[in-house]
Amino acid sequence: MSNAPALDIRGLSAKVADEEISILKSLDLALNPGEIHAIMGPNGSGKSTLAKVLAGHPSYQVTGGEALYLGQSLLDMEPDERALAGIFMAFQYPVEIPGVSIANFLRTALQARLGRGEELDLFDFQDQLLEAMKLLEVEPSFAERPVNDGFSGGEKKRNEILQMAVLKPSLAILDETDSGLDIDALQVVSNGVNTLHKENPEMTILLITHYQRLLDYIKPDFVHVMVDGKIVRTGGPELALELEKQGYVNWKPSS
Amino acid sequence: MADNSTYHSWLNEKRSHAWSVYQSTPTPTTKSEEWRYTDLAKLFPLEQITLEMGLVDSTQRPNREDLIEATNTAGRIQLTDGLVTNIQVDPAVDSQGVGLDSIQNTTHEKYQEIIRTNLCSHVLPPESGKFQALNAALWKDGVVIYVPKNVHVKMPIRGKHTLSTGNSAVCARTLIIAEEGSHVSYVEEFHSDDFSNKSMVSSSVEVVAHRNASVDFVSVQNLGRGIFFQVAQKSLVHRDACVNTLNVNLGSSLSRLDLNTRLLEPGANSKMLGLYFGDKDQHFDHNTSQDHLAPHTRSDLLYKGALDGNSRAAFRGIIRVHSGAQQSDAYQTNRTLLLSEQARADSLPNLEIEADDVKCSHGSTVGQLDPETIFYLLSRGFSRQQAERLIVLGFLGDVMTKLPHGAFRRVVKNVTDAVEQKLRHG
Ligand SMILES: Nc1ncnc2c1ncn2[C@@H]1O[C@H](COP(=O)(O)OP(=O)(O)OP(=O)(O)O)[C@@H](O)[C@H]1O
Ligand SMILES: [Mg+2]
Repeated sequence: MSNAPALDIRGLSAKVADEEISILKSLDLALNPGEIHAIMGPNGSGKSTLAKVLAGHPSYQVTGGEALYLGQSLLDMEPDERALAGIFMAFQYPVEIPGVSIANFLRTALQARLGRGEELDLFDFQDQLLEAMKLLEVEPSFAERPVNDGFSGGEKKRNEILQMAVLKPSLAILDETDSGLDIDALQVVSNGVNTLHKENPEMTILLITHYQRLLDYIKPDFVHVMVDGKIVRTGGPELALELEKQGYVNWKPSS
Repeated sequence: MADNSTYHSWLNEKRSHAWSVYQSTPTPTTKSEEWRYTDLAKLFPLEQITLEMGLVDSTQRPNREDLIEATNTAGRIQLTDGLVTNIQVDPAVDSQGVGLDSIQNTTHEKYQEIIRTNLCSHVLPPESGKFQALNAALWKDGVVIYVPKNVHVKMPIRGKHTLSTGNSAVCARTLIIAEEGSHVSYVEEFHSDDFSNKSMVSSSVEVVAHRNASVDFVSVQNLGRGIFFQVAQKSLVHRDACVNTLNVNLGSSLSRLDLNTRLLEPGANSKMLGLYFGDKDQHFDHNTSQDHLAPHTRSDLLYKGALDGNSRAAFRGIIRVHSGAQQSDAYQTNRTLLLSEQARADSLPNLEIEADDVKCSHGSTVGQLDPETIFYLLSRGFSRQQAERLIVLGFLGDVMTKLPHGAFRRVVKNVTDAVEQKLRHG
């Protein structure tokens, strides 16, 4: 168990649940505990679908393959079970929850992680939340705002990482967290992710991004190129630079 | 000490008159626009309950005592089966001349005079409708709140209505008169057991806010099943005055609310808030109207609800900006969240505008729980049930955050607890 990869995806295929639209096509990917991987790829190549399939989104149906999380099969688990097991996905498009404050939301989420009859220590929670807010450089009043309701694009992304800081996952999948951030916000958010990784070196991170710029701030161990539902190339950080220069022309599906 | 026998015979004359109005007013049917969503003949046939007018003389005087406990309350009044049984008033509030008394049994000359001027007459006369007439004929007791000029009652006054048995028509009245520059808030709650036989609880509320006065009125209905809860509320808002209302509907089998705010003079404004949560076969019908009769008046209505099981809600709201009421702002929003496939909501917002320089908007939505929102919460480790609860409480809680004062913390907590209770059993 201890030497099992954090995430081991073998021949994973998936389609839209009630339509015959295949998106993931026998995809392979393995992440060892503590590693940082980046996935890059053209629009529509299936990056978000991969993230959502790993999180258990009901719009997609797995048609083949396996996804093991620390040696345990993910695909039969409910989305909430996956979250409780330590998987976190930062959404490309976070949803708004009117009337539910961030503080209330996170308190309830942490409470859900405790066993029956166990009560969350509210002082500890306050401390944790304040620390996370300091890390993401948001005002304390931020926690009183309803989750993503009326937030700017950048605030929504910050809020995703704020949640990550409080929920402390062991596998974090960040789907285009850098999109919509200005350069200052990008630094703050990247610095936040790096700090969390330093605090917990066992935490595995999968970054989905279009921009090499993010990888200047968060140094990946591996970079993968995803085209048409599968990983077509894997390399080190230098691969991102190459992509930045050449684009994806060399990997367009030959059809 | 006032002459109670003339006072009582005056009240009885009003009742007799209302009874004749009741008898000559036809029972509303779905043919009438205002009742199109609620078929009384099917849901609550009036023939099935005994309705008899009886004259009321001195009933038992309620117990009256000082409120000693340091609660966040200025006064408390308790009604059982429509009769005031207990009154407690904070002596500090009492000494400012604030009246909290039984309408039927008050011996206070000033309050009797206030009642004679206002009860069942220029605010909510029996001619307003079948049920308004019924209530005006059958009521035995009610609450009168009188706030003298420039007196601010900081903490809310609380009223509690309970029922001892079913199979009856309990009619109660509430009269709130706020003199110039005064402030008061009143929170009433209706509770009872479930009843197997059909029972009716009727409440008529008359509010007058004189110049620059402000009145907050909150009503929380959590009656048992088997009950038809019928409400008529009318507020008259004078120059620069403000009347805010919140009506919470959680209990009863059938409820029908007729709510009207009349902004009579410039500067008058009103927030009308509503919240409902239906389950099983509950049926809620809200019929609201916002009348702007003077320029520079403002009204803002927000009614939100969630419906589970086979429950059903109807909302029919109208904004009327009368001619000459220029530069008025009037808003109206009704939103319902359907939690089951069988639940149903009908919403009919309406505008009648006879002035040309006004800001008005109205809108309504009926929606389901958004699967993307549920997934977002699941992906944070919430169970499906927790996710739904959080979304529903957030959706409804939004209404309560618009309550103007922190003084309502207890109401917010009680309502939240009651909604959670229903969510758990739904
Ligand atoms: N629920 C769905 N129904 C129909 N088609 C879908 C659905 N979800 C995804 N797709 C399609 O699958 C393909 C992959 O979508 P996905 O969002 O995974 O791409 P992506 O790589 O994240 O793109 P981007 O870089 O633009 O975010 C797209 O063509 C998309 O339109
Ligand atoms: Mg995407």
